Order: sequence, then structure tokens, then C-alpha cells
Amino acid sequence: MDTGRPRLSLEELHLLRWLLGGVLMLLSIATVFYMDVGSEVMTVLAMAGVLVALARPALPARIPVWAHRLAFPAILMFFLGDLWHEGQLLPAVVRLDILLLLYRGVSHRARRDDLQIVVLGLFLIVVAGVLTVSLLFAAQILVFTACALGLLMVVTITASAEGGQAPKLAVRGVVPGWAAHADWGHLARRLRQVAEWRLVASALALFVGVVALSGLLFLAIPRFQLENSLFLERFVPRKAMTGFSDSIKFGDISEIIEDNGVAFDVDLSDPAQAPATPYWRMVVLDEYRNGGFKLSSPMRSPDIMGKERTASYYIPTLRGVPGAPTWTFYLESGVSRYLPLLGRFVVLRFRDAQNFRYSPYLGLMALRDEPATMTAYRVEGMAPDTPGLADSLFAARWRNREVRRGVPLQLELDLPFAPDKATLAGLTADIGARGLDAAAFAQKANAWLQRLHGYSLSPRIPPGPGDPLVRWMASREPGHCELFAGAFVLAARSAGFPARVVTGFKGGTWNAYSGNYTVRNSDAHAWAEIWDARRGAWLRDDPLAPVVSEALEKKGDAALAALMDRSWSARLNSIRVFWYRRIVNFDQQSQVDTIRAVKAATDSSGKWLRAAVAGAASRVKAWFAGPWNLERAGRVAAVAAAAGALLWALLTGRIRLAALVASRKADPVRREAGHWLRRLEGPPPLIADLQRLRFGHSGTWPRPADVFRRARRAPPSSRRVPGGASRSTS
Amino acid sequence: MRSANGSRRRLFWRRALWSLVWPRRRDRIQATVSGAVLIGLSLGIGTAAYNSASNILFIALSLLLACLLLSGVLSWLNLRRVRWALDIQPPLRVGQDAEVGLLLHNGKRFLPTYALWFEFAAAPFSKGEPAKPETTLTAKGIDVWAALKQAEAGTSSGSVHLRARLDPGGEARLDWGFVPSRRGLHKIELRSVGSLYPFGFLRKVSGTELCREVHVWPAPVDYRRLAASGSRRPSGDLQLARTGNEGEMMALRRYEAGDSHRLVHWKASARTRRLMVRQFSAQNSEACSMWLRTDSVVWSRPEQFELMLSFAATLALDLFHAGRLQAAAIDGSAPVPIRRVADLESFLDRLSEASPSPAPGGGAPTQASPGRARQNMLTFEPEGARGVASFINGYRTAAT
Repeated sequence: MDTGRPRLSLEELHLLRWLLGGVLMLLSIATVFYMDVGSEVMTVLAMAGVLVALARPALPARIPVWAHRLAFPAILMFFLGDLWHEGQLLPAVVRLDILLLLYRGVSHRARRDDLQIVVLGLFLIVVAGVLTVSLLFAAQILVFTACALGLLMVVTITASAEGGQAPKLAVRGVVPGWAAHADWGHLARRLRQVAEWRLVASALALFVGVVALSGLLFLAIPRFQLENSLFLERFVPRKAMTGFSDSIKFGDISEIIEDNGVAFDVDLSDPAQAPATPYWRMVVLDEYRNGGFKLSSPMRSPDIMGKERTASYYIPTLRGVPGAPTWTFYLESGVSRYLPLLGRFVVLRFRDAQNFRYSPYLGLMALRDEPATMTAYRVEGMAPDTPGLADSLFAARWRNREVRRGVPLQLELDLPFAPDKATLAGLTADIGARGLDAAAFAQKANAWLQRLHGYSLSPRIPPGPGDPLVRWMASREPGHCELFAGAFVLAARSAGFPARVVTGFKGGTWNAYSGNYTVRNSDAHAWAEIWDARRGAWLRDDPLAPVVSEALEKKGDAALAALMDRSWSARLNSIRVFWYRRIVNFDQQSQVDTIRAVKAATDSSGKWLRAAVAGAASRVKAWFAGPWNLERAGRVAAVAAAAGALLWALLTGRIRLAALVASRKADPVRREAGHWLRRLEGPPPLIADLQRLRFGHSGTWPRPADVFRRARRAPPSSRRVPGGASRSTS
Repeated sequence: MRSANGSRRRLFWRRALWSLVWPRRRDRIQATVSGAVLIGLSLGIGTAAYNSASNILFIALSLLLACLLLSGVLSWLNLRRVRWALDIQPPLRVGQDAEVGLLLHNGKRFLPTYALWFEFAAAPFSKGEPAKPETTLTAKGIDVWAALKQAEAGTSSGSVHLRARLDPGGEARLDWGFVPSRRGLHKIELRSVGSLYPFGFLRKVSGTELCREVHVWPAPVDYRRLAASGSRRPSGDLQLARTGNEGEMMALRRYEAGDSHRLVHWKASARTRRLMVRQFSAQNSEACSMWLRTDSVVWSRPEQFELMLSFAATLALDLFHAGRLQAAAIDGSAPVPIRRVADLESFLDRLSEASPSPAPGGGAPTQASPGRARQNMLTFEPEGARGVASFINGYRTAAT
């Protein structure tokens, strides 16, 4: 029986297969753009080739047969040459994958070639996802999955329409019939005709079901901490932003500020303790030489910055800050291998074991390698660097400053041009440092700098001999944060106070939707630290910031109100934060937390239900305990009689619920009769009675119990042979 | 009745769960190349995910697993409420094309069914005791294969694909053709229904118990009619010598080219939807009875015995169409009057199952046939090493 619904012909199925395969290839090759493996030109060419072949399916037949024969040896040679020349495995494999996809895209495919496309494409998508940990991966793999499933389904249906013949290789140089008459407009019209809304809705529902199921599986798959991190990111070299390496030149941070991309997001377990202007310390630069600051060699020695490899780093000697919140950082790739921190901490946890160096004296933590993907870490017991960063090592060194050995005193002024020292001494005298402690000096130095210099991201350093920073200090030119911080350090050292430059980020915004700090590259900043011998701590000094005492600094809601971001950008960013929090950062602990949350929800629901039942029972009890009189008893009796009558009418079939009447199958007598009709072939009178019970009006029924008794006693010869007529699968 | 339904529902779930542990006989699920690749990918990605603790890989893994589950659900939905029935139109004859029809019905409300295939098999069998099971543990592999090959000998098998979509509520008919190689009782069965739907990961084959038993008649053979006829003509019947349309109506048979249109029985034709003609019991002096003797002593060569059966079947059909076959008997059994097509088909069914009898096929038929027919007794004798000849009253009338 033909229901009249249109069907796609074999040629149209082949064309649909070609379309889906092409889309799949384009989708997967496009991921290479954000993989940063240096294959942009090849990617563009491959996409163009696939696109042309997709639009004109007859074109691949023009490729000569010898080209097909040479294709695989040539691709293999290219791969080996690439590997030998570049020496990087993963980029070479990615380029090999692109070439294979390109070849499959520009040649007519057999069934198994379609499977190759799926596998090659999946490889690219997964590698891109692992390397970037981007939210885009989620969208991309969903679209890829939908297209891949569609392609495989069309391949199966096409094979069946061809009579299930063995897979055939496409004949090279011959245009298949479906490609010769390819008409995309016609295919679109036909697809519109064939698509039925119920089928489309079912397909969508199934796909949503697959996504939901994969989400559940993702949550349920047991996680183990194997402490054996691979992985792909090691095969792709990355470069950090130069402003956050251990040496900077003036202007480096200004370049970073011009980028408005997100540098990192920070979750805070207790927003009430959120500072209004957090200073995210990353690198401490204590040595000034040749017009630039850098971290000196003694400070990088293993005694100061110890090497570690662990997933959880405890510093038992430091006590935790009571009630300190937990901070979770999501540091984007390409920012730095130095991790932003507010100060010292008690525990720092990574998702998996990491190689890193940490200096509790400097308050710095640096990963061994530049992270190629987003790096997540959780910090507990972190004490911000206000009122000061205590440094017992430097305090001891300062007490024994006459001894030449040990960590640098950070008083050095490497100014080879002799007049610079005199100029600097004169400028320091202008500040008026005599008899001041570090905090007072800092205050006066800031005021002096702000009086002489304005702020500009495009500073001008006056030309001339000698040190550029001293020249800038002596001028009235505006400058940026690095110049201000550097000038302060030179002035402090000249006045006899140890000082150093610190780079990192300042401030950020508070995302109103996801409830976290978002710090952008435009928040990059440099400031200074000056040694306060009286406190035995390094004091933060930002020459560009107004002086605000710790007591007056806002915290919690008041602080966040000023940072609140409710823009569309914040909305989008909240999705990315969700991705990092719930997906990328999901680990064994998160799994346990999820199970606990489910258990808690179940418990609370159970409690609510029990309370509701108990409340209802107590109300019923109270109702029964109420005073009874004749009128009340009569009313109750009337209601009970009405309910009983209704129940009796329902039970005896005098009143039927519409839902039951709607389906004859719902009637147990009819259902039982149908059951016997399927089993029996005779005798005819019995069959007639059963048919009447099954299909006839109930008023004409014989007594059902008698008919069923006769059916049970029917001789075996009248029973149908199992499987003799038909069978339905279940 | 409600409890019966409840128990049935419980039984369904119990069966469904148990089938996962212990699949039904003939139910097979095999991974295809795509499926093997998918499983391999899942294992590889899973290993990498655990090694790297990368949630991106866990996402890919969970999507792959979800796709496998979706594949199972769609495959189940595809086969759900699809009913099938065999439609076989006899007669089936050795060496001639036989067509087996499969009627399909998709009972689903709005989901179509795609990409099924049906595996058929036709194998001769006897209704005797089933063979005792024998262990293969002690047998050599080659012996087992040989035994299996022997068991499959004479079995015709093939598959038919559902090429087009079977719409919800729709019906379709698929035909499978085969050529029977042996006569006898055959079991034609729909062995299994298979599907690669939806993604071709798994080859799911579900065994069915749908089968039909049919007789395959001996092959038609060419034979030579010999001029000398041995039929005796009783003196009183000479005026009715032609095979005509006179006398009492004896039976209905199918129309054949050359039959008079006046013989068409219109009511029967309308009822059976085939053109049927009346057959009269005209007093035919050339009518005869067929008597087959299956002595293994006489028919010592199996191929000659087969030829004899084929010759007998061909002659029986020709004589019946000519209205000259009165009765037929095999060995010592009672002769069966051949009045209707059903009688002839019953005889041919018996013929298809005949085998050489070990004891000499004793004497004449046990019951007396009509006098005239018994006088025109058609018998068969070997002729030479390979041939077979037929005799009427001892006169050679035809030969292969």
C-alpha cells in the first residue's frame, strides 16, 4: 500500500550524502583556524577545494586516474617531509588529516570513504577541543554529531535502496548519474516535500535526547585521578604574552592593554569578601638593567623558587586565613605561565598533576611550560598582599645587609651613564625622603610623580644620552603604568629603600549573571613594592592609584556594585564560565558534589512530602475530631452515598470515562477476546462469539465468561501453530 | 483479567531483560566495520580521557556512547510493529522458478520503517523423527564442517532487501525466487530479519519462526508418445470415444489455452479469481488409471527412479488435462479417483514424497478400481540403463 508520501530517489539520496559529507568536511577543517598549528593557508585551500567540489559534484570526475593513483603516496611523502622538516608531530598529523579530507572531498566516495570522513573529521574536532578547551568546541561537536549521524543514516538507507550490494569503489574518471544531474534547488524542494513535521520533530527530540543522555553519561562516567597527564598540548608549542614573562621592556604591558580579550575568570566562594580593587600579582621584577626590569638570577634559584610536581600544593608553614574564601581561577591560554594570585596561600589545587615552581617569599607560582589550554586551579586560604607581603627571608637578609652574599638587596641601580646617578639623586631630593619610613616615602613619591607626569598609553621619552627611565623622570612627559612603577622603584632605591616592580592585572569586572570576576587583558597593570623594614613586609604601591587605606577599601556588595557588568558581553561570558565550571573543570570532587546535591534534593523532597502527608493527616484527624451533629452527619452521609454511587456506576460500566471508551483495547473483555482470536482457528461458533465480544456492540454480547471457558477448553487441533501466520517484533 | 494483564506485562519485561543476557536463538548482533571503528574510537578516546583527565575527551566519549544507545533505540523502533506473512503460490516443481512472497505491514502510527532485509531458506525435510543430537566435541573440525555442509545440501537460501521506505500503516510485498533442486516436502522459512538501520554500526539479525511447508513436485520431463496404443475400447462405449464435454460434470479445473469458452464456469471463476472450466465425466474409452510401483529391485538406479517419478507426474498432469486420468495408486495402496484438481494435487504431493520401497511393491492396488480403468492400467518400467517407458495394459505407449 502506497501512502502517497513522496520518497527520495536513489540519485537524490546520493546527492544528499554528498552534501552531508561536504558539510562535515568543511566543519572539521574549519577547526584548524583556532588550533594555532600554523596551517592557515592549507586550511583555506582545502576548504575552497571541498567547497567547489561540493557545489559541482561532476567536477571530481575530471581528475585524471593517475592523479588518484599518486594521491596517497604523495600525501604520505608530504607528511614525512613535514615531520622531518618541522619536527612537530601534532601539527604534521593535523596537516595530514587536512590533506586526506581534501582528497576525500574532491573525489567521488564509496560507502567506506564516508566513514573515513567521519573519523578524520572527529579527530580534528577533538584535537581542537583538547587544545583550546573552548566553548566553541561544544557547539561544533554537536553540529558535527548531527551531520555525522545524518550522513551515516543516509548511507545506510542508500545501501538498502541499492539492494544491500557489497560496497563498491567509485569508478575514477566516470561521472556518476547522480552527480551529472545535480541540482541543489531541486534537492531542497524535494527535501521540503519529503520532510514531515512529525518526523522532523521526532528527529529533533531524539537528538535532544542524545545530548541529554550524553550529558548524563558525562556526569556518571567514573573519574579516577591517574596523576599521569599526557597530552596533546605538549605537542604544540605556545608563546606567552611578553608582558608576563620574567623580563619586560617598557611598553610591553601597554600592548597587552590594547587587547580586550578575557585573560582569566575567578570564582569566589564568598562574594561578601570580594575586594573592590584586587591586584592580581603575577611576576616580580627585581633587577633593573639596560632600561628594562627582570627577575634576577638569584631569585630564580631553586632555593628561592622550588620545583614541584603535584596536583595539590600545601604550604604547611603558613597558616590559613580564618574564613578566607576559596578562589577558583580559569586562566586562558597564552596569557602567561605565571599564575595570577592575590598573595600567599595555604593550598593550591590543579585539576591534574603539574610541574611548577613556587616561591613563598616572592608570592609567585610559575608553571614549567606555557599552558596551551585554559588552566584551572583552586586556591584556599589566600591572604591578599595588603597590608603587606611578609618576607622572612628578605627580612633576615636586610638585617645582615653588610654581608655581600645572599639574595639581592634590591637597592641596585645599574646606571652606567654617570650623570644619571646625579640626576636621580637630585630628583629623589625633590621628593624629600630624609627621615621618612617606607610608607611615608611612598606617599610622597606618588604625589611627586603624579604632579610631574600625566597618564598616557602613548608616552614619549625625551631623547638623549643615558638611562631612558631617568630621562622620563626628569621630564614632564606623561607615561603609562610601567614608567610610573619603574620611576618609583628607581627613586625608592636611590633613597635607600629596597623596591621592585610587580606586573599582573588590576581590578576587573563582576559578571552579574555568572557571579565571578572577569579580568581582561586591558586590565594588565604594573605597580611597585617597597620594603618596610619596620613591618618586615613588602608594601604595595601603585603610583597611579589614589591612596586608600585598607580600612576604607570597600568589600563585598559595596565593592561589587562598582564592578558590576550587565552587558551582552557579560551574558556571553557567563556561558563560557559555565562551560569552565561545570564541564571543563568537572572532576572526581565535582562528581561527588553532584551526587551529594542530588541526594540532598531527594532528601529535601522526601521531607517535604512527609511533612505534607503528615499535615494532611493531621487536618483529617482534626476534622474527624470536630463536633458532630445531625446536620453535619447528614451532609457527610450524602457525600459518601454520592461517591459510592459514582464508584458503583463506574465499576459496573454504567458510566465510562472518556479515556477508556476512546480505545476498545482498553476494555478487558475485548482485549481478552482479541487474545483468544489470535490463538484459535476454530471451531467456527466459538470464533464467531469471540469476534462478537471483540468487535460487536456490548449489548449483543454473549456471556463473556462462558465464551472464554469454551475457548480454554478448545481442542489443541484448533489452536494456531506458533509462527505459522505472522509475527510482530517487539 | 487485570492480573493476567499485569502478569503479561511483567513477563514482557522479564523476557526483554532476559533477552539481553541470553539472546533468542538466531538473534545476532554483530559489529560492522563502522561499528568496530566506533567501538575502537570509544576505547581510544576513553583511554586518552582517563590518562589526561580531559573533560573534552570525556564529552566526546559520552557522545559516542550516547550515539551507540541511540542506534539501538532507533533500530528497535524501526522493527517495532512490523508484521510479516509468507505468501506462497503452489505448485512448486523441481527445476522451475518458485516465487515466495512476503507481505509486510508497518503498524506504527507515524514512524516509517527503513532498510530491512529478509533471509529466506527453502530446505527439503521429512516428517519423521528429528535426528538425535550428536556431540561435536569429539569430532574433528573437518568432520563438523562436512556434516554442516551435508545438512545444508539442497537448501536454497537468499535474501531480499526492503529497498523503499515502508510508510506508517503501509504495506509492501517482497518476492524471493528460488529453483527447487529436489522434490518432496520442503520447509520454506523466513529465517531472519536483519537491519543495519540507522547508522550501520551494528548488524542486527532477529530470528523468526515463520515457515510454511510445501510440496515440490517432480520436475516436468519431455517424453515421446508412441503410436501404438494399448487401451482397450469396450464395445458399448465407442460412441463416446472423444474426450468431450458431455455427461455429468465431474470437476472444475483451471482454464488452459484451447479450452472452449463455453466450458468456462463463471461463478467459480469469479469466486476463485481464476478462470475455471467445467470438466465432465464423459465416458472416455481412453481413460486410464496410473499405478506406480516403487520396488527398489526394479528401480535400482536412483536417477532412473527420479526420472520415473518426473515422468509419472508429467503424464498425470497431461492425462488429467486431457480428461483421461481416472485414478492413481502407488504400490499397494488403494487407487484414488482423480476427479478434481485437488485429487490430482494430492496425488502429486504423494508422488513428491515417494521413495523406493525396500520390499517388492506387492501386486495390484488393494481395492478394485472402476472396471474400465483397471483395464487401462498405466504402469512404468525401466528402459535401458537410463530411460523409463510407460505401458498401458502391457503395451508401450510413451518413453522418455
